[in-house]
Amino acid sequence: MATTIVNPLREGLRLARTPEPSTIVIFGGSGDLTQRKLMPALYNLALQRLLPGSFSIVGSARQPLTDDQYRAELHDAVGEHSRTKPLNEEVWKTFAEHLFFVPTPDDHGYDALRERLDHLDVELGTNANRLFYLATPPGSYAAIVKAIGVHGLRGRTGWARIVVEKPFGRDRQSARELTETIHQVFREDEVFRIDHYLGKETVQNILVMRFANGIFEPIWNRQYVDHVQITAAETIGVEERAGYYEQAGAMRDIVQNHLLQLLALVAMEPPAAFDDKAVRDEKVKVLRALRAIRAEDLPDHAVRGQYTHGFIEGVAVPGYREEPGIAKDSRTETYVALKGFVDNWRWEGTPFYMRTGKRLPKRTTEIAIQFRVAPHQLFSREASAGLDPNALVLRIQPDEGVSLKFGAKVPVQGIRIRSVNMDFDYGASFMVDAPDAYETLILDALRGDATLFTRRDEVDQQWAFVDPIIAAWAASPEPPYFYEAGSWGPPEADALIEQDGREWRKA
Amino acid sequence: MAQSVIGDVDTAFWGARAASVAELERELARLRRAQSAHAREQGRTIARASVLNLIVYADRELHARRAAESISQLALRHPSRAIVVLADRRAPEGVDAAIEMHCHLPSSDGARLVSYEQILLRARGDSDERLASAVIPLLVPDLPVFVWWTGNPPTSGRLFGQVLALADRLIVDSADFARPQATLPELAELCERAHGRFGVTDLNWTRLTPWRECVTLFFDVPAWRPFLSGVTGVRVGYAVDMDGRDSNPSQALLFLGWLASRLGWRPHEAIAPHEAGGLLFAIERSDARRIMLRARPRFERGLDDGDVSGIRIQAEHDGQLGEFVVKRQPDPRHQTETVIVDGRVRWERTIPMPSPAIVELIGEELAILGSDRTYEDSLQTLVRLA
Repeated sequence: MATTIVNPLREGLRLARTPEPSTIVIFGGSGDLTQRKLMPALYNLALQRLLPGSFSIVGSARQPLTDDQYRAELHDAVGEHSRTKPLNEEVWKTFAEHLFFVPTPDDHGYDALRERLDHLDVELGTNANRLFYLATPPGSYAAIVKAIGVHGLRGRTGWARIVVEKPFGRDRQSARELTETIHQVFREDEVFRIDHYLGKETVQNILVMRFANGIFEPIWNRQYVDHVQITAAETIGVEERAGYYEQAGAMRDIVQNHLLQLLALVAMEPPAAFDDKAVRDEKVKVLRALRAIRAEDLPDHAVRGQYTHGFIEGVAVPGYREEPGIAKDSRTETYVALKGFVDNWRWEGTPFYMRTGKRLPKRTTEIAIQFRVAPHQLFSREASAGLDPNALVLRIQPDEGVSLKFGAKVPVQGIRIRSVNMDFDYGASFMVDAPDAYETLILDALRGDATLFTRRDEVDQQWAFVDPIIAAWAASPEPPYFYEAGSWGPPEADALIEQDGREWRKA
Repeated sequence: MAQSVIGDVDTAFWGARAASVAELERELARLRRAQSAHAREQGRTIARASVLNLIVYADRELHARRAAESISQLALRHPSRAIVVLADRRAPEGVDAAIEMHCHLPSSDGARLVSYEQILLRARGDSDERLASAVIPLLVPDLPVFVWWTGNPPTSGRLFGQVLALADRLIVDSADFARPQATLPELAELCERAHGRFGVTDLNWTRLTPWRECVTLFFDVPAWRPFLSGVTGVRVGYAVDMDGRDSNPSQALLFLGWLASRLGWRPHEAIAPHEAGGLLFAIERSDARRIMLRARPRFERGLDDGDVSGIRIQAEHDGQLGEFVVKRQPDPRHQTETVIVDGRVRWERTIPMPSPAIVELIGEELAILGSDRTYEDSLQTLVRLA
């Protein structure tokens, strides 16, 4: 078989990430996600010469479009949403020549899709390597996966993989059912569940920080760490996603996937290798060790909130219940604060505080490791009045970077100590625009590297943690606590952490 | 203008003169404090975060200045202490050998957040034997030392040897070699002698990276990979000026050297010069068949002299004729890759291909520590070809 011969030219090339020749098939090919994220990401990969030596994209959706109409539609979308502007017309021209559309309103459509894919394999010599991408609303996932199986869209040679967008199920049961459906056509190692947080540079940098440096890991445990705070704050409201959000809430939208993934990356043991199996094995161990919050402990461990009218950056914004498409008596949570414990040797007794919300004063995502204070107070109380405990903060957005807070002597006679920050700014240090998370993730999926994707058992554990909380809240007669838009959440969330003698960081 | 600077150093660019290393370090500390104070007024902080030492050697003020400007643009990516050695050998007779030191913290855009330290060592007269003693105390301890030697590296020179003894990596640019056919073999010998003590690289090699990537991508396609063992001819075009003088084929030759080393080709004979200018080689494929490789000078508007302008690989497999072509567009910011099998275009795409500025090339090379085996293999093979 020709594919087994290694390309002798590849050795020593610094660019090692180019995937094998292949075709990417996008279901929901003219949808919002494709236009805003996927196609701009693919085009930017082409600009950076990261796409394979032979490559095509086939979009598919119910409505009829010709190749030319499809290309024209995406030309405008990419022009608007690409992170690099303006659109490079010459590059687009040959990029678009390998861009096709096949409508799939019915069974005939899927047969036509298969024929088109087979034809492209021969024409481009791609050995039937195919990446399927589910960019449709989740309601259609099952039907499309079944059609891929029934109509033989997997090639006879080469590899096949499927990328599934979030949300992956709406509880543990439905997630398991979806996985079962997918497993009728794809093996688990062919399934790539996207959590776009994991595609962000700083999230990957958590692993590099922890495991490429010798100085952090020895203190990364209950003995030195007082507690951990994970914050994902948004300033936006529900925008156009009212229908989805009203059903989901912050717990399903952010906590179940993003926050628990961040927690897993911060708390995990060092993996034996940086590959998909080892990394995900360690993450899932953390998720399994995450202590379930019992119904009677709920008030002390979880707070939900909902925003009311207020101001964001000086502009008046409506309350959640006043947003279009939201019920006037909605009990959906737009804010969640949690106190979690990881019951293992490393973290016993160390609280992990997590919070997320919409309409908070500032858009920021960060992880703060708060260290214990020095064991013996050498300096007088007056001298150390300005001293906070050491904190290592990993900023994920908007300004990706790392900062370390430590005490320094104020340069005057005598001793006075003040906290200073040592800052590392990702963008400024490397002077490169970080690639969009979708670029990283699509490239990884094309290369078959699943390290940054969520595995079945991780999803399962994540739902196992949030399901009982969601159920308890649904059963409770109390509505969520209210907080003004533009504040840092309800006062009850402050109480959650203050009862332990700690406070939320000024993010 | 070279003569006029013998006397004076432009202190506006290179900073104040210091009488000793100790005084120079004091001056740098003072400048850093001033810079921090200024930044603090604007609510910023400046980090002093050197990650490498960079010694630049130049024998003309113009080259020294250009190099210094490039490095200062890289201050954020590669915060460094740069020691620019400017040794003008054409100093008039009778000038006492001496070394003058200047230091400066340039505040370019790149240096707004990280302080970048620039030191000039200006040698007068025949100072070769004393220059290294001025460089050594200025190196920041424990950090890797890069040597960027502009112009021809005098591989047997005393100063060159002393500077190289400090180096972890030597960067040269064969585009600036006056006689590449003579200097490239010397460089190959140097690599052999280095024996892993320091790495050697050539900015012309860095310029080839996108070309190597394109050609490699062709043969990632399973259907086209077998053509690689059936190559029947290779042509590489490189840019020359309108009248064809000053032709420097180094880059094109390095590409051929790379291809030959990766595919296990053996040199057979060099048939040069080719009737149309340029160079022609006969080589033996690993299956002992003889094929021809050509490097052809071409006039191309908008390309720098010596830059590769196009590559054409012809090959056969299974009775089919394949042509794999990469060509710079008339507008040199793009290139087109084409695969033609039996006369029919099977694949074509256009991708951006900026001509990288020296600063980008240097930036890339500063990110690598140690030797680049693929480059050294290519250079050795090339030297055996020619």
